[in-house]
Amino acid sequence: MEYLATVTILIAIYVILAASYNLVIGYGGLATVAHPIFFAIGAYVSGLLAIHVGMPPILSVALGAVAAMVASVLLAASSLRVSGDYLLIASLGFQLGLLQLIRNLELTGGPGGLSNIPSTITGAARTPAFLAITIGLAAVSVLGIRAIVRGPYGRAITAMRDEELAFTALGRNAMSMKIVIFAIGCGVAGMAGGVYAYYFQYVSPEQFEVLQSAQILTMVVLGGMATAYGPVVGAVLLLAIPQAITFLNLPQNIMAPLQGIIFTVLVLLFLFLRPTGIMGASESKPRARATEAA
Amino acid sequence: MTRSLILSRRHLVAGAALTTLAMPSIVRAQAKDPIKLGTAMPLTGSQAGYGADFITGMRMAAKDVNDAGGIAGRPVEILALDTQADPQLGINAVNRFIGVEKLPMFFIAWSAVVKAVAPVANREKILAINTGANAPEIAHLGDYVYTAFPLADVDISKLARYTVNTLAKKRAAVLYINNDTGIDAAKIYRENFTAAGGQVVAFEAYDPKATEFTGMLLKTRAANPDMVHVHGLLTDVPQVIAQMRQLGMTQRVSTYSVAYNPKIIEQLGAAAEGLIVTSLAPGVEENPLVAPFIERWKKEIGRAPNGLPYIQYQYDMVLLAKAMYEYLDKAGKPATGESLIEALNTVKEFALPMTGKLVIDGHRVDKTVYLLTVEKGKFVPLTTLT
Repeated sequence: MEYLATVTILIAIYVILAASYNLVIGYGGLATVAHPIFFAIGAYVSGLLAIHVGMPPILSVALGAVAAMVASVLLAASSLRVSGDYLLIASLGFQLGLLQLIRNLELTGGPGGLSNIPSTITGAARTPAFLAITIGLAAVSVLGIRAIVRGPYGRAITAMRDEELAFTALGRNAMSMKIVIFAIGCGVAGMAGGVYAYYFQYVSPEQFEVLQSAQILTMVVLGGMATAYGPVVGAVLLLAIPQAITFLNLPQNIMAPLQGIIFTVLVLLFLFLRPTGIMGASESKPRARATEAA
Repeated sequence: MTRSLILSRRHLVAGAALTTLAMPSIVRAQAKDPIKLGTAMPLTGSQAGYGADFITGMRMAAKDVNDAGGIAGRPVEILALDTQADPQLGINAVNRFIGVEKLPMFFIAWSAVVKAVAPVANREKILAINTGANAPEIAHLGDYVYTAFPLADVDISKLARYTVNTLAKKRAAVLYINNDTGIDAAKIYRENFTAAGGQVVAFEAYDPKATEFTGMLLKTRAANPDMVHVHGLLTDVPQVIAQMRQLGMTQRVSTYSVAYNPKIIEQLGAAAEGLIVTSLAPGVEENPLVAPFIERWKKEIGRAPNGLPYIQYQYDMVLLAKAMYEYLDKAGKPATGESLIEALNTVKEFALPMTGKLVIDGHRVDKTVYLLTVEKGKFVPLTTLT
């Protein structure tokens, strides 16, 4: 069914986004709110290459990802020397400034956005093909990030996040590690943007506002920060629930506030009941209790 | 206990039979599948004030059409989905219309949303009809995207020429919101004002989230315009005008149909005096059906409608659909995106009750523009531009 397939494609794209954000903020501990702008860079670069150069989709999506990666290195190199609150402010400025640039450039279609992105796959095969591509990419992203963080490099990332001073004292370069994590996470977000542009054939600045960070962050927190499959669960829940609610055919005076408070209720609920997220380690596990007792 | 149960069953059966006899029209209406008209509008978020009223306008029209026998004997049902004026949610809504509801046509508004759903409509060969967005680019969004609402080049070009030719203003300042609504309209105003012999002495954009306009207004004041055209949204236009007056700028201000709303007079008070707004639908003076409609609205909803001319268009969309479906019924054709486009282009001229004659001219429409001005705290007609 076309509708379900489209929602699934959107969910798969957001799984990629949430997983990449989880790598940066969950595993890397890098507090950034600029993730939507890397998603935008991927989408705009791929869209522009498709419109003006007629480049093959695989190449233009790859270039979109590379562009996002390069932009992330620029931000990282200048702001990762500092971290914590300062990084947050630097990323906010980067997000707002670059989006303002996109909004004001004629090349990017200004505030009206980029329309007429060509449909590379046509006919009945289009949606199934995108479904397979996006689910495949989501699986590769999630499993790829899982493979990174489960290996020796992943343990080094966790050590750097948890105790940077000790990590540096051991002779490891925290700065280069941060730049690598940031570049991988943002490059993956750029790839998601490229696929988004090809499937939906329209991108506009308002789709990449800073508030989208809150949505992706909620997916990560809800699913379980620094867990491999948490972002998958978070993205599915936060995108599927609002769609499912519309099928209840509730009166508008109930539907409007219900949709408005859904994020708030979910976040509050999970903060109280399961602060580590759905996929996070449960605090009430016997092993945890035993450790506490010891 | 058993007896009372039997009796109640009998009562139910008898009641159902009586209802059937008493209301044959209900039975007839239920015997035929309803014609579902899909409309995707912002029902939550900052634009919900307009979107929700748009749906109410369509539902009123659907009730009127159903009371008069429906469309070719079939009842009309309005299927409204929320977009929050967000392009992505617009795409989701349209996909649901196409994939779940199997609709051959849908109504849509808000420029960014129309642009976002256009590829879906073209790809799936489903007719999209714009009922309220005015970005000129909408005329070029593809074979399956039509508009029943005049795009910005209709009212803004006529307003700019009227300002030079009739109001004899020669130096205009154009202040516009930096989004697709403002940018395109500001360019159209400048082109037409200049072509009519005027001079645009200030051309300033402001951020959609701005609340402080002093810098821009001081620059505008220094350019010494004799007319100021403000092209923004209902959230910022009153603030721009209020801050203009605070800075001692007394020039007459014009804007467009979005400000034809009683809220703007409530907010601005005396500062609204002389404000010129456009309306793309006839008002109480020009159309005798409008006053009873407003009365009905106030009675049913308990307040004045938000953006009356826009709501008149939404009301008329149901009548437009009625004419299109009746054409297909006569021609014995099923309703598909292609056949509905054929109906739209073959019938071509539609006599609509609330907004008057609608002539489909390719992917755009031309309409009479009504100018109104604020006098003693009320909108009064200024002139009609054809």
